[in-house]
Amino acid sequence: MPRRPQTPTTIPTTPAGTPAHDAGREAVIVGGNRIPFARAGGAYANASNQDMLTAALDGLVARFGLQGERIGEVVAGSVLKHSRDFNLARECVLGSSLSPQTPAYDLQQACATGLEAVIGVSNKIRLGQIESAIAGGADTISDAPIAVSEGLRRALLKASHAKSLSARIKAFASVRPADLAPATPRTDEPRTGLSMGEHQAITTATWSIGREEQDALAAASHQNLAAAYDAGFFDDLVTPYKGLVRDANLRPDSSVEKLAKLSPVFGTSLAVPATMTAGNSTPLSDGASVVLVASRAWARDHDLPVLARVVDGESAAVDYVHGHDGLLMAPAHAVPRLLARNALTLDDFDFFEIHEAFASTVLTTLAAWEDADYCRTELGLDGPFGSIDRSRLNVTGSSLAAGHPFAATGARIVATAAKLVANRAAETGKVSRALVSICAAGGLGVAAIIESAASVPGADAATTGGAL
Amino acid sequence: MGPDMVGRPSAVKTLPGVPELGGLYARAVLPGWPRLPGRSSGASPDHASLPDVTYRVADVVADPEQLLRYQRLLGEPADDALPAGFVHVLAFPVAMALMIHPDFPLPLAGMVHLANAVTMSRVIRADERLEVHAWARRLALHPRGTQVELVTEVSARYGAGDAMEVVWRGVSTYLAKGVERSGVTADPVDADPVDADPVAVGAPVADAPAVFTPPMPTARWTLDAGTGRRYAAVSGDRNPIHLSALTAKAFGFPRAIAHGMYTAARALAESGAGRGGAFEWTVVFAKPVLLPGTVAVSITGDDAGGFVYSGWNARSGKEHFSGTVTPT
Repeated sequence: MPRRPQTPTTIPTTPAGTPAHDAGREAVIVGGNRIPFARAGGAYANASNQDMLTAALDGLVARFGLQGERIGEVVAGSVLKHSRDFNLARECVLGSSLSPQTPAYDLQQACATGLEAVIGVSNKIRLGQIESAIAGGADTISDAPIAVSEGLRRALLKASHAKSLSARIKAFASVRPADLAPATPRTDEPRTGLSMGEHQAITTATWSIGREEQDALAAASHQNLAAAYDAGFFDDLVTPYKGLVRDANLRPDSSVEKLAKLSPVFGTSLAVPATMTAGNSTPLSDGASVVLVASRAWARDHDLPVLARVVDGESAAVDYVHGHDGLLMAPAHAVPRLLARNALTLDDFDFFEIHEAFASTVLTTLAAWEDADYCRTELGLDGPFGSIDRSRLNVTGSSLAAGHPFAATGARIVATAAKLVANRAAETGKVSRALVSICAAGGLGVAAIIESAASVPGADAATTGGAL
Repeated sequence: MGPDMVGRPSAVKTLPGVPELGGLYARAVLPGWPRLPGRSSGASPDHASLPDVTYRVADVVADPEQLLRYQRLLGEPADDALPAGFVHVLAFPVAMALMIHPDFPLPLAGMVHLANAVTMSRVIRADERLEVHAWARRLALHPRGTQVELVTEVSARYGAGDAMEVVWRGVSTYLAKGVERSGVTADPVDADPVDADPVAVGAPVADAPAVFTPPMPTARWTLDAGTGRRYAAVSGDRNPIHLSALTAKAFGFPRAIAHGMYTAARALAESGAGRGGAFEWTVVFAKPVLLPGTVAVSITGDDAGGFVYSGWNARSGKEHFSGTVTPT
């Protein structure tokens, strides 16, 4: 394998005894790559998380000429992960054409995995601990791990620890016929037994989000994603894989009328009419995505473009277990805190990338920010957080159209946001900003600010409140 | 429940150990079996027509394996503290023994568990040597029969010496449906006329008056057919109405039903650790939960740091149980 010489010269030197951290250091997004997302049981039915993540990684390597390159760190994960994939990210590195000297670790924060990975590597880059990083994730429903039942698992463990044949046989005596049924992975919340859809149905009912506005958001997602593909927006963000060139879930001809014909699937036992259908909820999907983050110096030394910089990130969590807040409402908490720290308001953003776990997740988040009472009692604000210009929302489509392979969504959105702000800044000559917000299982949510990167290092340092 | 400061009978009968519930059930339905010893004269007013005796069992210690299986099943932390519901499992058979006492005026067969109230005064460690006292009180008319309260008190040592303090107290209210006893007056703090949690064999359930409006759910319990068998295994309560559809049908139920205390103890577990180690935990049982079955559940915090919970059938909207967990 061809290897580039190591480039220690790019590592900034600091006087002995002073920390390497330099407030002027930035984490810039060079670009991203993903494979088209497939529907569960579809084109990637026989692909593993490792297969898909390696494919996404190799596409990124090819795009930016990283063959043999020692990257500072590769951070990725998957939500539905087999125990044999304990070192998924590292194994994918070893299976890719990156230098085998590239370290890696796995990270998992449910659907926020990819975004958390981006924030984590950005922080290391800004601290001067690494110069380059790849962040991302993969998930497969089709190749999900299947475990044995608790009863069989305990018997197997006991037998493996047994010292004699009779003790081994005795260990299996406790196995009941029902124990032989495999345990398939559940997407239910462990503490409530409710699926994410059922949880969101409760939130949807609480916020009185109507069927029509959900269908309208879903239709817009499909139309926007299709238009972006047609315009070539994804030409340098997506690499075809296993016969797929576009996301399998995309329905360019989706419309409110067509979506209105679908029957509700979540919230059907609540007192209010059910509104959530397979059309305004994300489908179970397979896929992988990665994004290349670096210091400005590293990008320059490698003759690579700089699309945007990662300004700041914030995670939040809500008490959904006892119904105090909706399961997927954490981003509603994360974003106001993130913006306050950076002295920004919703009006300062050109793009809002709010992950469409369900159409109503986006709509409840927006409704919450407009609700004075919620903003006061739950978010600790003086009044409504604000409204967003809907024409700036998910302008190239989002998860309802693309699909949502849990851990792969973060890097998909970050790469999209980086390209959107880069394009906008190139058009207008002004700084452009995108807000990224992703809700996750466990009542988690992560938000981040992505800002167009000026060509001169440090030239844009004064444009925001100087986070970190 | 009204104030539960009614004193316990002064006559104390020490049993050699906590009785097995299985044996108690057998004696309840097989009249030829010998009953536990008791006194049958000189009842005090508080215990009119009830056994005027307090049963006592000393040196009760939790079995660590049983405790772990209970904690796993109910979703309690697998630590070295006894969940309040596990103390009930540990101690209640002593009260149950009173229900087959010769002086106990109501037949155990067909009895229904109406309500339960537990006061947990402090964390009880798994290795503490506990003392259990149990007595019956407050025989009272109920619109559907006669009700009675079984009080179970669990004490443990405190300080360096042998002084005991009450660390757990349970009041279990039972109804003998269709049974009327002369001289018994209506309880002024009457429970709702619900069908509750049948405790013993042969208690078919009629329709309960529905005054329940389901709140927004916070959880869903998907209970398979083995739920009753698993709780039976960790609690020792192998009442056939919980074990299988076949054995439940023999006693008039369409299918097996979940133990009421399983549902209450699971709600307690899911209220979480935030309530602290000292709390009151109540439950009132309505319609039984048929197995397999799905229960819509609401467990929500109140402003005082406590929780209110309820469970119901999502399709029919009929209530299964409701209760509270209140830090003290």
